[in-house]
Amino acid sequence: MKIALAGNPNSGKTTLFNALTGKIEHVGNWAGVTIEKKEGAVKKALNRSDRTVTIVDLPGAYSMSPYTSEESITRDFVKNEKPDVIINIVDATNLSRSLFFTTQLLNLDIPVVIALNKSDMTKKKKNSIEVEQLSKLLCCPVVETISIKEDNNGLQKLIATAIIVDGKSQAAPYKGEVENLTDVKSVEKSDVARFAFIKELVAKVEMKSVKSNAQTGQDALDRFVANKWLGIPIFAAVMWGVFSLSQTHVGPFFADLLVGWIDGFYGLVEGAMGSDISPVLSSLLLDGIIGGVGAVVGFLPLIMVLFFLLALLEDCGYMARVALVMDRYFKKVGLSGKSIIPMVIGTGCAIPGVMATRTIKNERQRRTTAMLTPFMPCGAKLPVIALFAGVFFNDAAWVGTTMYFLAIAIIIAGAFIIVHITGEKNARSFFIMELPEYRMPSFKRAAVSMMSRAKAFIIKAGTIILLCNAAVQLMQTFNWQFKVVAEGAESSSILASIASPFAFLLIPLGFGVWQLAAAAITGFIAKENVVGTLAVVYSITNFIDTEELALVAGGSDVAAVMRLTSAAALSYLVFNLFTPPCFAAIGAMNAEMENKKWLWAGIGFQFGMGYVISFLTYQIGTLITTGKFGQGFIYGFIAVALMIAYVTSLVIKGNKKAVMKLNLSVKVT
Amino acid sequence: MNAALIGINKRKELLLHIDKVGEPLSMVSDLSNADINKEYLIKDIQSVDEELKNFLFSLGCFKGESITIISVLAEIFVISVKDARYSIDADLARAILV
Repeated sequence: MKIALAGNPNSGKTTLFNALTGKIEHVGNWAGVTIEKKEGAVKKALNRSDRTVTIVDLPGAYSMSPYTSEESITRDFVKNEKPDVIINIVDATNLSRSLFFTTQLLNLDIPVVIALNKSDMTKKKKNSIEVEQLSKLLCCPVVETISIKEDNNGLQKLIATAIIVDGKSQAAPYKGEVENLTDVKSVEKSDVARFAFIKELVAKVEMKSVKSNAQTGQDALDRFVANKWLGIPIFAAVMWGVFSLSQTHVGPFFADLLVGWIDGFYGLVEGAMGSDISPVLSSLLLDGIIGGVGAVVGFLPLIMVLFFLLALLEDCGYMARVALVMDRYFKKVGLSGKSIIPMVIGTGCAIPGVMATRTIKNERQRRTTAMLTPFMPCGAKLPVIALFAGVFFNDAAWVGTTMYFLAIAIIIAGAFIIVHITGEKNARSFFIMELPEYRMPSFKRAAVSMMSRAKAFIIKAGTIILLCNAAVQLMQTFNWQFKVVAEGAESSSILASIASPFAFLLIPLGFGVWQLAAAAITGFIAKENVVGTLAVVYSITNFIDTEELALVAGGSDVAAVMRLTSAAALSYLVFNLFTPPCFAAIGAMNAEMENKKWLWAGIGFQFGMGYVISFLTYQIGTLITTGKFGQGFIYGFIAVALMIAYVTSLVIKGNKKAVMKLNLSVKVT
Repeated sequence: MNAALIGINKRKELLLHIDKVGEPLSMVSDLSNADINKEYLIKDIQSVDEELKNFLFSLGCFKGESITIISVLAEIFVISVKDARYSIDADLARAILV
């Protein structure tokens, strides 16, 4: 039997889905986290019958007449695919709005069970709901649930009730007859009457001690964290705190332990192989596979701590306020605060981030957001950030924080350019977003989210990263005649000859050597590869404990091995973060943009942006530290100037279009 | 609803505001110049964007319903409709007549 979970956004559907099925789908304390339907079987412990019960989690919807595309998924599913039972999740703290959708669901003649969720919150607010009365008035069973609680949460009863009502018919408490469905006025009249019916019903079952429009401590907190002047500094402080804990304090502590084990394993394998094994095979296994993968996995603790903290932030409701703070700046460049949500999700992985752009109605805004979301440093880019922060900047938390804010700045600049190129700088759109209530973040949920990301990271390291590192090691070992490259002739290897032409283009950015170019190229398969490839090409296995390496390598350290100045290192980091994302994310961009022209323009824009920012970082950095410009300044300057000139010409063309549009609209008015 | 049409609407609104200056007596009262912490009844939603109107409707934000401004943060209005809090921008606040 198939049960659909339907309800308003942020009523806790996915949390309930996870609790019912034992899955770990992404949840967040804001509206619009789920954008696609998801299926799972109910856990044995909750299902006392011998039937298999499948649960379908649907995106949140406010009504059966959809506004956003993910709302249509919900409407289409319950209307066309006819689930056996609908579990309607109703946010107990917002009955009067939630029941609008409920009464619409009750008209479908599919048995409905109401899960009155967040029922603990009503008590906390000193409100009370007469559940039996509500059930009688709505002609369907109502079960109180607390989906975030471990036990005594009403879930077993919910499933049992759903199984009982299966196959029965459903009476509609409010018929909502519309005289003429094609007439807008007549539909509206019926809907107004529906709301009136609900108002009357809620008055009968709900006792409120505090009016909901009274000021609360939460509102005061909003005025503080979303303050006109303090909003951005508070966000910066929060992000700095997150990086400081994950990269400077807690993360490295665990990373040291892990890297110790990896080194131990390396030694063990080396010992087990003995000395009579072929040197090619031994270096493939040791330096290529164990060294490369180990270098990436070494950053796992840092990433886990970071994801744990980000999950706490998402869970407490702060991220919705960040969207509110950013709306002001985003609006000036033709986007809205809505674009923030894909970007926040993009800090985990750009693919779901790009997919989340679906919640944006305006086509240009959606495509622009899909193009710019991959600039956010995702989980795969974190090892790269951590590596450079650790090796060149003494684990400073400012490196990561700066990269996040640089990403936001690039996104705003990018959106500004795009809105001018498309000639829509005069277009307006509205921004409305539900503000979820703050709550104590759950350490357990954060831990679950962290573990699922860690698992994905390890799987990736053991598959794609491992294969890439092995390939890089082989390409580095052999030349085109498939002979082992002689010592001192490393630049004749297959890898070096492929990467060298690219390296030439990177000279003005401060890192025109084939090793670094190769690492950047493998980064397009997966960004973690940058770390893995660097480990392979420079034969460094331990990026975490750099002091130890200094002893092993006889006085030199990682920075010296890579022969990069601080300015060039920062430039290389910037280049890897802000050029196009991995191929998988580009695939997601293609799917959401639904337009090849936008896709190629997007990739071109990302390359150009990465090149320009990286050029500026290296040349200005070098000018400050040494007093003169770095290598290849003239050539780089010409390239950057050409790129800027081309974009400027597009902007001028776009502005002409905008003037035409404005004239047209004046005529219409 | 495409952005260009909203653009037109915006211009209409601009014209309305010009009218206001010339003719203070016919001033339209919308949410953007309403008082904080005061319960208002919505008189109308003024927008050519029918989908947006429908969406606001499904939130319980339509003619005859009550609405309260909780705070004004920079250019964002935090409003209370039914039992929920929403953040809306100034453009949308101007579209809600009270």
